[in-house]
Amino acid sequence: MRTIAIWSSGILGILLLAGFVALSVMAGGPKDALYMLRYALPHMHRGKLHPGDDAPDARLLALNGKDYFHLRERAGARPLMVVFGSYT
Amino acid sequence: MKIYNDYKDHADFLTVYVREAHPTDEWQMKSNVKEDVCYAQPKTLEQRIAIANDFVQRLKYPVPFGIDDMTNAANDAYSAWPERIYIIDEHGRIAYAGGMGPFNYHPDEARQWLASRFGEVAHPDAPEATPAYRRDDG
Repeated sequence: MRTIAIWSSGILGILLLAGFVALSVMAGGPKDALYMLRYALPHMHRGKLHPGDDAPDARLLALNGKDYFHLRERAGARPLMVVFGSYT
Repeated sequence: MKIYNDYKDHADFLTVYVREAHPTDEWQMKSNVKEDVCYAQPKTLEQRIAIANDFVQRLKYPVPFGIDDMTNAANDAYSAWPERIYIIDEHGRIAYAGGMGPFNYHPDEARQWLASRFGEVAHPDAPEATPAYRRDDG
């Protein structure tokens, strides 16, 4: 039983290490892999919207920092392409 | 921006600025330093507005713009972070739901949707339109 536990732990450790190495390669280095896990993973979501779903509304602020508008206000007579992103 | 230029007479466009993907105080990429795009994660709405304006002015970004406020409501509703594309049809329904960036972010898919509706716009180079803020961090 003890031997099985030791082997299982060893295999798990190797798998975790291999996963981290793979993530490091993907992210650009071990530090990036750690930062990805720490900062990016909590905000990554597969997404729950699919074609055919009603588009959610959201209140947005204009660049002047004063005027608000609703995302759905921009959808109307024509298709609306919405690109979400940031500067960095 | 190629997609915007090609289809702005047929469709509407909106860019929504959400929480930063690679701020200096979180996961900053080497490319951010190289391109001098170094900002901390905004903690106030004023900071977010300032960065959004920097982006638009620096890149002379012509696409209509909206800023997600600090509740991150738009980001949460659309699972937007770090980048994602949607197309909403005339009935207010999702017509195209892009994948999560960067690896599943494919503007060419959105272009294909628009092309299927309004016809293709030929370009001598590759049809994929890469948003101005999208970087190749390779």
